[in-house]
Amino acid sequence: MVQLQFLGRTGTVIDDLLDDFLAETAENLADAGGALVAWEADPADRAQLDAIFRLVHTIKGSSGFLALPRVIALSHAAEDALDQVRRGNRPANAALVTGVLGIIDRLNIVCAALGKDGVEPAGDDGDVIAALAEQHSPSENGHEVAGVPLRRDDDLQAELQSWRSIRVPLPLLDSVMTGVTDIVLARNEFARMLRDSGASPTVISSFDRLSDSIAGMRQSVSQMRMQRIDKLFAPLPRIVRDLAQDMGKKIAFQTSGGEVELDREMMENIRDPLIHIVRNAIDHGIEAFEDRVAAGKDITATISVSARQSGNQIEIEIRDDGRGMAPDALVAKAITSRAITAAEARTLSAKDKLELVFRPGFSTAAKITEVSGRGVGMDIVKANVEKIGGVVELRNDEGRGLTILLRVPMTLTIISGLMVRAAGQYFAIPRGAVREILLENGDTVRIDRVGGGELATVRGEQYPLLRLENVLGREASDDDDVADRALVIVRPGQGQSYALSVAAIHDHEELVIKPAAPMIMATGLYAGTTLPDNGRPVLLLDVQGLVAAAAIDATETGRNHDQMAAAEAQANAARNAAQLLLFRDTNGWVRGVRLSVIERVEEVSASALFESAGRVQVQIGDEIFPVHTANLPEAEGSLKLLRLFDGQSVLCYPIAEVIDIVRLPDAVQPSAAPGLIAGVVLVSGEPVELIDPFWLMAQYAVLGVDAAPNHPLCRLADDHDGWGCNFLAPILRSAGYRVVSDMDVVEEAPDVLLCLTDDGASCAHVGDEIPVIRLRSAIAAAGSDDETIYRYDRQALLDALARRIGGGRP
Amino acid sequence: MEKLYLIARIADTRVALRSRAINSVVTVGIPVEVPGAPPHVAGLFALRSRVFTLIDPHVVIGLPPVPFAAGQRVIVIDVADHGYALLADAIEDVCFIEAPETRVASKLLPGWARVADGMIEHRGASLLVLDPSHFITLPALKAA
Repeated sequence: MVQLQFLGRTGTVIDDLLDDFLAETAENLADAGGALVAWEADPADRAQLDAIFRLVHTIKGSSGFLALPRVIALSHAAEDALDQVRRGNRPANAALVTGVLGIIDRLNIVCAALGKDGVEPAGDDGDVIAALAEQHSPSENGHEVAGVPLRRDDDLQAELQSWRSIRVPLPLLDSVMTGVTDIVLARNEFARMLRDSGASPTVISSFDRLSDSIAGMRQSVSQMRMQRIDKLFAPLPRIVRDLAQDMGKKIAFQTSGGEVELDREMMENIRDPLIHIVRNAIDHGIEAFEDRVAAGKDITATISVSARQSGNQIEIEIRDDGRGMAPDALVAKAITSRAITAAEARTLSAKDKLELVFRPGFSTAAKITEVSGRGVGMDIVKANVEKIGGVVELRNDEGRGLTILLRVPMTLTIISGLMVRAAGQYFAIPRGAVREILLENGDTVRIDRVGGGELATVRGEQYPLLRLENVLGREASDDDDVADRALVIVRPGQGQSYALSVAAIHDHEELVIKPAAPMIMATGLYAGTTLPDNGRPVLLLDVQGLVAAAAIDATETGRNHDQMAAAEAQANAARNAAQLLLFRDTNGWVRGVRLSVIERVEEVSASALFESAGRVQVQIGDEIFPVHTANLPEAEGSLKLLRLFDGQSVLCYPIAEVIDIVRLPDAVQPSAAPGLIAGVVLVSGEPVELIDPFWLMAQYAVLGVDAAPNHPLCRLADDHDGWGCNFLAPILRSAGYRVVSDMDVVEEAPDVLLCLTDDGASCAHVGDEIPVIRLRSAIAAAGSDDETIYRYDRQALLDALARRIGGGRP
Repeated sequence: MEKLYLIARIADTRVALRSRAINSVVTVGIPVEVPGAPPHVAGLFALRSRVFTLIDPHVVIGLPPVPFAAGQRVIVIDVADHGYALLADAIEDVCFIEAPETRVASKLLPGWARVADGMIEHRGASLLVLDPSHFITLPALKAA
């Protein structure tokens, strides 16, 4: 954190004042940076703007007292610009935010130097101040970053409280921690002795007071090493914003799970890997506008970072909806860079191929960019995470996105745990994984034995039931009252849940979790050990591991039909909501067309266009399509074409660039006469002409190949050896019939049945209204009344078909 | 330090344990069981706010486990940053033994052969020299 650099000077009153100023300013600057990015996403948020203004104003105010001319000048410039916005004299745009962020960065530098030397360093800030002032003149907006979510108010609050901080070496914290836990253990022993000795109530009550304060102290010491993972996420929105702007990409960035706490040391170790992964996602993962449109994706990409506690581990998931990784491209790359040989490559599994990115010096980018892809990449990330006992996992969905999962242990970590009893001993369950606790014989619970397994139904929802004693291979203790048995609805991970039956619920406690010995961890049942206040070790259950140990399928998919159907219907509705592709056409007009008629966006060289029969056409690959344009392009180079597809034919529409994909507004102002423009809609307050694909297609309609559903349908019966499919069907198809086999499920009744069995009498399909032709494999007919046809007698077969049903090609 | 040994009775045998890995000798109460753990894990107990895993050397040697008696003495060791304790039948002495360690001359039971490093002469008796950390892992055969 920045403020740490500023502190550390003591001495005179002025020094104290300066230290206070620096600590406060560091905090204000950090807040202002985050708030600015959030505000940029929603410039209408007046409260946010006011907050930023106040922060900058405070910096200016306090610096005036200390006579720091550079700080004053810088904060004044920022304050001035923000004030203009507040008064409505200046638009809030990306350029302004960049300008103010520039000032904040400079202030950080100046303050850092101030903290080190005690005097304000000499220097000229004219550049950043001018840069901000320059933006005043109306100019073209840069790319805007969409939807950086606001950080919640309480996050900011938490940071405000942390600004007065001191540095304490971690070993010291550890030893304090150990000491306090020892005190707790000694207290417990003392308490037992007091009870046994029959001490007087006054002694006991003052001991209780001591006991309470020890408990409180233990709590605070436990918290000392922990930090909310928010701290780790805080710089990310700014990084995403800056990078997205540099690269001209639109990115919605979101974080969740910021309340998860993580050991400070762990946090330091995953800071860089996390930033690196996010940068990678923006640089390599997220495609350019056109590619996203072509892939049918929203122009605004989404990157989300979420943290989750899972037993003894923290999972940090970085997910993007970009292009994902292409395993075969990785292999090709690895071979060309001689990281592996072609022979080795053939032995790689799909997972191995992905893991090639962890090879030192491997870069997935086709071209090396300034941001990432310099060959120091995922191998460093992996090394850093593994150093602290973590794991990096890749979940690739080629074409649809990449998810990188960092799993790090919490070694010394405090979780809220639910204490339960089973088989006469206590176990802890991470509270975060517990969704609900119910009494087993309560009214809302129904337990069924189904085929040897047990199933709990809670208010209509079904869960597989695990009895903790069974999973652990123990007998239920006789001391436990059946009436106490409780069901804990556990949600070990996304989309999974089960009911865990335990002998009794005890209470919940803040627990310090430590890893258990390797052979205990290896059972897969436990996530660690903990020492609650009574001084007896308790095992923390691995809620995910129990699922594996019990060999149940805990996934929720398919369990509840109503919900699933509802969710599906909703998803379908969202998918079907009409979307509008906004583009700038070659004349500079902003126009829109329904996204659903766009097959893809092609980029072709101008020379691929040619004129033929008075129409401009384009050659793409082996095909030729009409182009909606009056003239051939004059300029050389490449041009973009929207490929409109109506299910049969393709029409290309030249455009200058794709702008965005938006929801098609409901209100369309139709144009008076049918033509290229179907009407006008308002998108973000601007009128946009809507292209009429119906009219457009009609202009270029060509007589396509008739798919002809009225061709006769032949059904092949008893085609046991596949001869019908392989030999006969092609002949029939070329003769103009449609062919289905026994295997195909077809609603439509066939017009004729071809029986391929030798034994004509056994043809099971006789008796229907449908005419039957039997084929035999022997050349000679069995007799004069034999109506079967030799199967290689093509002409006789076609004649017979024509006789029975007619049709086919003459 | 090299020559310092803990003389104890472990799994019905008098042995000399190299003291380097040994942390302390303590008495413990009833340990907490670990359902599902390998058989040589006799349980967990807490000591100075750390959790230790109690190992029954009988099982490691290939003998049936012995029931734990409250107040039994255990040898606390550290292996790879984890705390363990070995159940001892009796602790006799900690002493310097100047005599050199020698190769095991006799044929040992397979369980002992795996954990014994050598032999040493002490006060007119031959003792097996052990590194206590050998007791932490079960032989692969046993685990299977």
